Amino acid sequence: MTLRTTKRLWTAALAVGTLGALSACAGGAGAGDSTPTPEDGAASGSVTMWTYPVIADEAAHKAFWDEQIAAFQEENPDVDVNVEIYPWAGRDETLATAIAGNKGPDVVYLIPDQIPKYSKSLAAVDNYVTDQVGDLRENAAQAVTVDGAMLGSPLVMNTKPLVCNAAVFDAIGESGNYPETWDDLMALAPKLKDAGYDATNYWGSVDATLNESFYPLLWQAGGSVFSEDGSSVAFDSPEGVEALQFAVDLAEGGFIEKDLLTTIPAFEQTNTAKGKIACTWQQGPGDVAGFWGEENVVVLPPLTEAESVAFGTVGSLSLLKTSKSLDAAGKWAAFATSPEVTAEYAKSAGWFSPYESESGLYGDDPVQSALEDSLQYTTAGEVNEKSREVMGVLAPEIQAALIGEKTPEQALKDAAAAADPLLG
Amino acid sequence: MTATAPTSDGLTADRPPSARPPVPGKTRRIMERREARIGLLFALPAFALFLLFRFGPAIAGVALSFFDYTIGVGAEWTGVENFRRMVDDPVFWSALRVTVVMSVLIVPVSLAISTFMALMVRRSFRGSGFYRSVFFLPVVTSLVLAATVFTWVFSSNGPWSKLMGTLGFSTDSWLGSTVLVLPALAMVAIWSRFGYGMLILLARMQDLPRELEEAASIDGAGAWKRFWHIIAPQLKPTLFFLAVIETTASFQIFDLVYVMTAGGPARASYNLVFYIYDQGFKYFDLGYASALGVALFAVTLVVAVIQRYLIGRDK
Amino acid sequence: MTAVDPTTTGRVLEGAAMPVRPAPARRRRGRSGANDLTVRGKVVRYLVLSLAAVVTIFPFYAMVVLSLKPAAAIDFPASLLPTNLTTEAYDRVLGAGNIGTWLVNTLVYSLVSVVAVLLLASMAGYAFAKKRFPGREAMFWSFLAMVMVPYHVTLIPTFILIAQAGGLDTYWGLILPTLANAQAVFLMRQFILDLPDELFEAAKLDGASEWRIFVRIVLPLCKPILATLGTFVFLWHWNDFLWPLIIGQGTDHWTLTVGIASLQQQDVPLNMVLAGATISFVPIFASYLVAQRYFVEGVTSSGIKG
Repeated sequence: MTLRTTKRLWTAALAVGTLGALSACAGGAGAGDSTPTPEDGAASGSVTMWTYPVIADEAAHKAFWDEQIAAFQEENPDVDVNVEIYPWAGRDETLATAIAGNKGPDVVYLIPDQIPKYSKSLAAVDNYVTDQVGDLRENAAQAVTVDGAMLGSPLVMNTKPLVCNAAVFDAIGESGNYPETWDDLMALAPKLKDAGYDATNYWGSVDATLNESFYPLLWQAGGSVFSEDGSSVAFDSPEGVEALQFAVDLAEGGFIEKDLLTTIPAFEQTNTAKGKIACTWQQGPGDVAGFWGEENVVVLPPLTEAESVAFGTVGSLSLLKTSKSLDAAGKWAAFATSPEVTAEYAKSAGWFSPYESESGLYGDDPVQSALEDSLQYTTAGEVNEKSREVMGVLAPEIQAALIGEKTPEQALKDAAAAADPLLG
Repeated sequence: MTATAPTSDGLTADRPPSARPPVPGKTRRIMERREARIGLLFALPAFALFLLFRFGPAIAGVALSFFDYTIGVGAEWTGVENFRRMVDDPVFWSALRVTVVMSVLIVPVSLAISTFMALMVRRSFRGSGFYRSVFFLPVVTSLVLAATVFTWVFSSNGPWSKLMGTLGFSTDSWLGSTVLVLPALAMVAIWSRFGYGMLILLARMQDLPRELEEAASIDGAGAWKRFWHIIAPQLKPTLFFLAVIETTASFQIFDLVYVMTAGGPARASYNLVFYIYDQGFKYFDLGYASALGVALFAVTLVVAVIQRYLIGRDK
Repeated sequence: MTAVDPTTTGRVLEGAAMPVRPAPARRRRGRSGANDLTVRGKVVRYLVLSLAAVVTIFPFYAMVVLSLKPAAAIDFPASLLPTNLTTEAYDRVLGAGNIGTWLVNTLVYSLVSVVAVLLLASMAGYAFAKKRFPGREAMFWSFLAMVMVPYHVTLIPTFILIAQAGGLDTYWGLILPTLANAQAVFLMRQFILDLPDELFEAAKLDGASEWRIFVRIVLPLCKPILATLGTFVFLWHWNDFLWPLIIGQGTDHWTLTVGIASLQQQDVPLNMVLAGATISFVPIFASYLVAQRYFVEGVTSSGIKG
């Protein structure tokens, strides 16, 4: 009898397992409208939105959204909006798992790095933002557009052109002589090193996005990550080699902090926090003001080699196709990313609105005005479905070049050889 | 049970029926059947949970390796395509090598240290309770926290690099060297895990009969001989348990690598679990991630079986 | 039936067949240990232990000190000195709106799991160690084998299973999958294997029911290992991040680790990270100190299993 019981148990196990497997596959079946259009009249339903601690103060952040929900409900009283503030950590795991199990939110805050990855689960917002879209900055609109459709409505944007520490320049007797080109920075580097300062910082860990470290150099050299049609990589060009060589020269000359090339230490420990670097394109003024002293923070246009380019993030609200209240979600997302709302949000976060008309948020503040000026030179990166995979094979090769194990040319060549098949 | 040579392996423990009164055949069969039923009943709740939440998802995971699964879209059958891709993938082989090297660096040293520490603190002497608590501290710590602190320890300004400097070596961070990064990570892993093994070995050591050791000591056997010939054989089942658990854990080290090196420099610490995470939750290629998971599972199982044959025999 | 007093196994056995081991040795256990070593041996021991203790404690000292510092650049070793301390990081963490809810969720998650795992694992461990039934070895090895499947591969299927069953945002959905703890079963089995069969046979002859044997004999003898295991299970659940994050879709359902993370910006100040870590660490260590009593009991008690 017990042998039969055991056999029955194993059959049950197999059945449960197969059931689990089937449900895993069935869970994400792509129902839902890809290009929804607004319905007439006020919307109804319940909308859940997931966002992240964009505004530092939790209480202020919650208060902001409560206020917006109240305003939205004046026009749409039958819509129940719930905003959840999720941790930054583990957000891809959480979102991907929820979508796979068909339990995702209706609206979610995404950045351009994520949008191509989730593109199959997102609904286009074009039809909901027709009133606002004309006012959008071009680079913001481009950051959320995949295959001609807007998969998110921009909410905030920022930029990281070049931030320099006035105190450091004073200390080496070069007050006001801020670098404008790569050569300028290289010329200053030995003098800085002798005085005990780094020229800049370079976050080389594979986990740090290349958008902030290497790609700005690549773009400034006139190169690009992908070819025009996105079917192959283009970073192994002479411009790419030039860009990587610049970084390698900085590393070899001892002009940048060595530990940052391979690990991500606590920010407070780095030379950057200690005020020991001259300039950086990888931090914003908000990151360093507390450490350098506000009066020492100088914002400049990005470095120029062949071109002047900076990287900036665009935070946007995206609609999930499988939402049960797609119309309500679309209307909420459009409302929450309308120009006035974005201006208020951006101001609380210390960032900028993606709309042209909402400039001058910070009045005469020199730092913020300079940043705002740089928005015209800013790109949010090249949108491609395989961006992450390409970064995954490129970053280790760049690291190898930086620690001297490969020449820049070889590193980029190897990376391209690994990356092209991914795009094919 | 005397401390003589083992006569059976730990898994089919068959006690000599020394005290059992003779029972007629039929009654014995009824008794055995009853005992079997009781056994199944006791094991059932755990087994049911395990079926539902380990077996099921594991089968689903294995099944997924035969598909191309896109989140939000669905799955497409691809047969063994993922496995073929895996065999041709140099990153997979590199990750596998890193995993094995890490394990080889961690497990033997960790077990040795656990055993050594357990021997050190097993007697009751002044402060022994304090030391036992102290050595347990790292186990009680989240690995993320440990990783954060140790990133500083190994950094160029950290105490470890300074120590290396005074010994005449370079003060470059070990985490930045493709050769030294694995030993550095191994050190952190050992630091965080040795207390676990120590505690378990301690619990076992308390029950070892003192007379044998005392007799040996009177006979003039030194500490090492006493350990190797008397204590160690009795620890075999516990050591087997620890070996399997520690090896499995070392194959799945994630938090440590994630926080300290992100797999760098240049993939020198990019282990298989990290590759699985990247493929699954960074690139959303869950089919391939599952195939990699199957590979990791297979390797772990093979190693466990080998360990069973090498160490697993107990009384 | 005769009361089986688990703390005096020796006496129970006197009436039965062979005793496990000669009884008289016990009395000398506690004190005589120290006599084993020569003076030199003792000095060496203290040196080794002290060095190991410093290496072990140091990261915790760093964690606590740094969490009490203001958010500024860190300069070692100066920053490690306990000067210029402030509780601003703790104020930020503890001042969060939902910290009470997070604490309650974490307590429920951890404590219920501890009780459930200890019960289920000891029952299963007992079955695998002492009861013969067909398929026992296969079942036991399958427990172990399933632990070898990497976590990230089973995450989504487990989530889907719970979600489809309506377990999102519920305690049972949070707790249930984490109760399938193969390591716990393995540990209990190894421990119970060493309990002498004669004990059980004697009890059965006395007419004790299976459940009674389990509760009155097995469990008390396993106190130290249960205490050890309980502490581990408690800490694993207390520190768990990813699963509570995924199964709880909102701040009301999160545990402490997740909740504290939801307060942190992307470039979170180190002192806040460490404050959160210290806050998480304190109850775990406290529970260890409580459970320690049972380890110590086992350590200094006389020659019985446990």
